[in-house]
Amino acid sequence: MRKILILHSSDNVAVCLSEIIKGEIIEQDGKKFSALESIPRGHKIAIANIDLNEGIIKYGERMGHATSRINAGSHVHVHNVLGDRLASSDS
Amino acid sequence: MNISPLKAYLRPNGSWGLRNHVLVLPLHSALSSSARAIEEASQGAVAITHDWSGEIDADLERIISTLAGFASNPNNFATIFLTLDSPNERRIIERAESLGLPNVVHLSLADAGSMHKLVDVGILEADQLLTRALLQERIPAPWSAIVLGLECGGSDALSGITANPALGVASDMLVDLGATSILGETTEILGAEHLLAARAITPEVGVEIVNTVLRYESSINYEGIDLRGAQPSRGNIEGGLSTLEEKSLGAAKKAGNAVFTGVLEYAEVPSAHGLFFMDTPGHDIEQLTGFAAGHVNIVVFTSGRGTPTGSATMPVIKVATNTPMATSLKDLIDLNAGTIADGIESLSEVGNRIFNEIVAVANGKETKAERGGHHEFSLSRLYN
Repeated sequence: MRKILILHSSDNVAVCLSEIIKGEIIEQDGKKFSALESIPRGHKIAIANIDLNEGIIKYGERMGHATSRINAGSHVHVHNVLGDRLASSDS
Repeated sequence: MNISPLKAYLRPNGSWGLRNHVLVLPLHSALSSSARAIEEASQGAVAITHDWSGEIDADLERIISTLAGFASNPNNFATIFLTLDSPNERRIIERAESLGLPNVVHLSLADAGSMHKLVDVGILEADQLLTRALLQERIPAPWSAIVLGLECGGSDALSGITANPALGVASDMLVDLGATSILGETTEILGAEHLLAARAITPEVGVEIVNTVLRYESSINYEGIDLRGAQPSRGNIEGGLSTLEEKSLGAAKKAGNAVFTGVLEYAEVPSAHGLFFMDTPGHDIEQLTGFAAGHVNIVVFTSGRGTPTGSATMPVIKVATNTPMATSLKDLIDLNAGTIADGIESLSEVGNRIFNEIVAVANGKETKAERGGHHEFSLSRLYN
């Protein structure tokens, strides 16, 4: 059973196929890292280190950029990602 | 792999039918029951009905293109038109002929003399056409025979990571082989239009993609709705979507990563092969109707909730985004892509299964929607 789904070979994030628990080791598709925090199913996990302002790549396309440095194994979501065109809204 | 295993019906204008339908098409809503009566009496004929009763208004050209395009879809061996013999009905028939419809029968109520006689003549004509259609044989066809329509409806949190990107894998394979693939739903790509434009074959095509979305957006803003500000919604964010680009890519990935060859108006027939974007509404049946009118001859429809929607002319393959729905709605779903979310199959494995199903259905395998007799049709209007 796969734990994460990498949608394109150039992606720096993957989708969690089940809830990931902090400290869990993820070894799949030639990558190995540990989860730095718990991440809900369906949310994204960084599979590479991502610098501040670097593009978030999913489906091989740029879906936004990092608003802080994101280490591999971190939860990637609205707290550290912004669309390039628009801020995502919490309301 | 590059030698096509396809067999299809060659039309006189060089296009290919994956089915060989005899369509009964009333060009006025008042003739709907006559069309149904002919369909019921003629095993194998298929009728559609609609609500246009000849109105001449701002939507007229859109309606003419839709009905003429639908009638001349290459999956139709023949179309029997039922009319009140108005000038616009005659325009629709002429347009259908110019779009390549090989066999045309025009039955007007006035010529028939009564509704009963119209149905009687229609049944006789349908019988003769069906006999001729059965005699036509499939012959080896190139990959370019396939004109695939990409559709999603009743999306769920898994659509963007299972069925849609898996369909994108299949679409990319087909486009690579020389087929045509069409992405629709302008509403759905809003927010990712700059990313799709970056994949356009020329800067002009990129500008057209962006302008199509802007045109739609300004028509909505006119009504006081700001689509970008409200997205992604709170529910989307809880589900894990972080940006509008990400949400829109989840829908647009039905079209994979191929280069966009061009942009089509609603119901426009593409004049080249490759990946196209068609400006369609989000409404499932209006989108399907626009695809059929644009001579799409096979559709893959991804769904999270499940839907019986089908077409009188195009086989529609249903792909479930999640395993529970695929299991509970077996009579509607042709393929399950939920196995990607279950961690059992990879994206490319499911993409290959979708590709193989497209080939099988193109060669005649019946879809669940065909077996169920689902023939939805809806005219799309902009102004009324």
